[in-house]
Amino acid sequence: MPRGVFRAALAIVAALACNDGLQPTPAPTTCPKGGFVGICGTVTLRGAVPRNTSAVYIIAYKVFPQSRNDLFNFQPPLQSLNQLPLDRQSEFYAVTLPSGRYEWVLAAWVDKAFTLAGADTTLQVAGFYRDGADTTAAGSSIVVVSDSGTDSIDFVIDFGAMQRVCTYFPPCP
Amino acid sequence: MPLTRVVARSLVALAFLPLRGQAQTPGAVYGTVSDTAGAPVADVHISTAGAAAASDAAGHYRMTGIPPGRAVLRFARLGYRVRQDTLAVPAGDSVRLDVTLRSSRFALEPVIVTAAKRSQLLDQSATSVALVSDSDLARRAVSTVDEAVDKAPGVLFLNGQVNIRGSSGFVEGLGSRVLLLVDGVPANEADRGGIDWDMLPLQDVQRVEVVKGAGSSLYGSAAFGGVVNLLTRDVPVGFHGRVRTTAGAYADPPDAAWRFRDYVGGLGGLDATGSYGTEVIRGSLTLGGRHSDGYREQDRSDQWEGAGKLAWHPAPGTRVTASGSWTSHQYQVSPPWCERGQCDDRGLAFQPFRIGTSDTGAYTRSDKGYAATTVERTESAEFAWQARASWVRTHFTDFNPDNWGVANRYGTELRGTLRPGGDSDRALTIGLEAARADVTSDIFGGHAENEVSAYGEGERRVGSVRLSAGARVDEIGLVGGGLAGQLSPRVGVVWPTRSGTWRGSIGHGFRTPSLAERFPSLVASGIRVVPDSTLVPETAWAFELGNAVSLGSATRLDAAAFWTEARQLIEPTFFDSAGVPYIQFRNVGRARLRGFDLSLVGRPFTPRLETSLAYTFLDARDLGTDSVLAFRPKHLLTLAADYAFRPFSVGGDFRYVSRIERIELGLSWADDPRVPAAVLDLRGAWSRDAWSARLLVTNALNYIYSLTPGTLEPVRTASVVLTWTY
Repeated sequence: MPRGVFRAALAIVAALACNDGLQPTPAPTTCPKGGFVGICGTVTLRGAVPRNTSAVYIIAYKVFPQSRNDLFNFQPPLQSLNQLPLDRQSEFYAVTLPSGRYEWVLAAWVDKAFTLAGADTTLQVAGFYRDGADTTAAGSSIVVVSDSGTDSIDFVIDFGAMQRVCTYFPPCP
Repeated sequence: MPLTRVVARSLVALAFLPLRGQAQTPGAVYGTVSDTAGAPVADVHISTAGAAAASDAAGHYRMTGIPPGRAVLRFARLGYRVRQDTLAVPAGDSVRLDVTLRSSRFALEPVIVTAAKRSQLLDQSATSVALVSDSDLARRAVSTVDEAVDKAPGVLFLNGQVNIRGSSGFVEGLGSRVLLLVDGVPANEADRGGIDWDMLPLQDVQRVEVVKGAGSSLYGSAAFGGVVNLLTRDVPVGFHGRVRTTAGAYADPPDAAWRFRDYVGGLGGLDATGSYGTEVIRGSLTLGGRHSDGYREQDRSDQWEGAGKLAWHPAPGTRVTASGSWTSHQYQVSPPWCERGQCDDRGLAFQPFRIGTSDTGAYTRSDKGYAATTVERTESAEFAWQARASWVRTHFTDFNPDNWGVANRYGTELRGTLRPGGDSDRALTIGLEAARADVTSDIFGGHAENEVSAYGEGERRVGSVRLSAGARVDEIGLVGGGLAGQLSPRVGVVWPTRSGTWRGSIGHGFRTPSLAERFPSLVASGIRVVPDSTLVPETAWAFELGNAVSLGSATRLDAAAFWTEARQLIEPTFFDSAGVPYIQFRNVGRARLRGFDLSLVGRPFTPRLETSLAYTFLDARDLGTDSVLAFRPKHLLTLAADYAFRPFSVGGDFRYVSRIERIELGLSWADDPRVPAAVLDLRGAWSRDAWSARLLVTNALNYIYSLTPGTLEPVRTASVVLTWTY
């Protein structure tokens, strides 16, 4: 290897090595800056977390589901879901969503024994977002996601008052 | 010296004097072969009348059975001047002879066996080949095969999945687009199509050949993006032994907020190899084991391994080889790292060294091995043939969740090589292969697949240009179903000129979907993964143009531009049916992978200093979505330098991997903590007689990074490797 190349290689090593790698990142308390598109907020947890809890996810529907067939037409995609921490009384969350208008933002509770056939009992609504002016029972507060992130989508998750899927699509068995 | 001691010694000497007329006991010669820089030289053929031996990786040799008296020893190795020494060999005793070999005036090309399925010089290959020699393996003191392959130019591991020029990306180890061979025997898993890198103890590997680009014209399915061939050690004549022990420790996380244990994590291992050989029959056996506490939470592993090789030379030009290995690996499964709220996160967005509390207890036992028998015969200078039969078996048992699977691959091959005129101007390789793969698993069900193949490739020299052309036909199908054909042609050209040796090739590659991709039946995160019996093989056309040139007497440059067009790529896809979500492997992708790689090896200041630089630029596009192809970093740079002075040497590697631009699968990567990788490995060694000691510090800067979502690459690890060779 020519000497010049050798010296250049040493310089490259020095330059590339000046990189800190991963660093401890404090949990966010506001919507991430720069490039983030989605919703952020704080959920307040009430009641005891059921022992059979698999996970709680925050999801959003562009159009309020009209039937059970629409239940899985939510955002973010399944593979991008993040579990919500459940060991605190309140928790900040940030969920990446495509920009646009959303009719329903909610927390979906999933049973450890979740099956599609038993979705009525193994999949429940643990809470949803509504603003002060919203008087609907199911909550239909419109959330508009812009290219800079939409903050303060705060709501309550009440494990003592979760609603089964059939509540929205009766009859309940 | 006191008189009594002189008398005693004389009496002892008299007692051992040979009696007149009694046959004299043969003697032995041992020693070390090194180069002018003091570095050990392996594979030197040492011969004298009636005896022969070869030096090992530490340069040590021992030759027994030498008639006493004056003996002429000849030391020969490609790339070095032949040396002859005369010495007196005592009867029934041994004498030491250390020699230094000088490089030959013209560096000779290494011989490779993978690119054309026959022996050829490296500069006669129409495709790019990267080599990892036994001296590379010894110098870097690595412990596993994947560590040995990882630093080869153009090769990158993503959480255990090998990529050659970005071939595989990352699909959780499923469906490798690189074919693993052990002495030419296909060794990919029969069920998942992945690679078990721990199938063979590294102690038994003599060198590794990495063929880049589509190689299906000779190797069929899985050689979509390249071939890695592990070539095991030849068994030398005489008694030989090697014991290698490793002990080391993992560094703590660099930040106290990431600490996850209150003790120093350790690792250690012991491997022992013994062999005995005559001119007719030779055998070796390797046994070993290793333990690691891991460098993150729930990362302990224990491994036991064994390998053996038996070679029989019943007649000149004929060799029968039986070889095999078995590895049992028990390891804790380290799931994706803990994100906010899944563990004691200490107020951080993610804890890369910890796992979620709901994931504790996952544990896997993975057993794997192979057995192969090969008969090779050289009928004449013009014709040679070989036949082989092989069996590869993998067996895994997952605990929490409980899953299991057993898979087998039985293979056989008959190959002939014709060299009209007995020279290297013309060569023809033809062969037939047949294989059967089966799986029995609670995840993948019970299925079996057959494949039958025929291939041929010819090469001819026209003037100074070497032209090659060949093709392979594969008929593959499920047992009980029909066979589907694949035709994989390849043409190549090699043209030596004043400006270096040019090479070019166009070849076809394909990969049949693995049984695991076709027949999965499991639930992942509440979503059912469903089978797709309509999957068809993914295919690719690969083009390459390269040049290898010597720059002065001590530097060699190899550069190649490559372009691969891939179709029907098999990828996991999310879809919903009647509102119900599913995951299924589907033929969805079209991709283009193009770029260039460059390798520069030389000794810039002194023969004692060897340096190398390897760089790969990759432009990988998903043509279906017109976006960057996932898990393909654009830049891959490897720098290495080693300085040797008599018994000492020091050196290091630096590897840079640019930030991965796009990821798939498990997109829940909190705060998207993607960073480039910049890893420095340092090493030092001392070698004397039968002993060598090596100090290795990998990831010396304790650089914390991740290449796939939720996984953590190894932290700084310091280890000492002691080797004794007989």
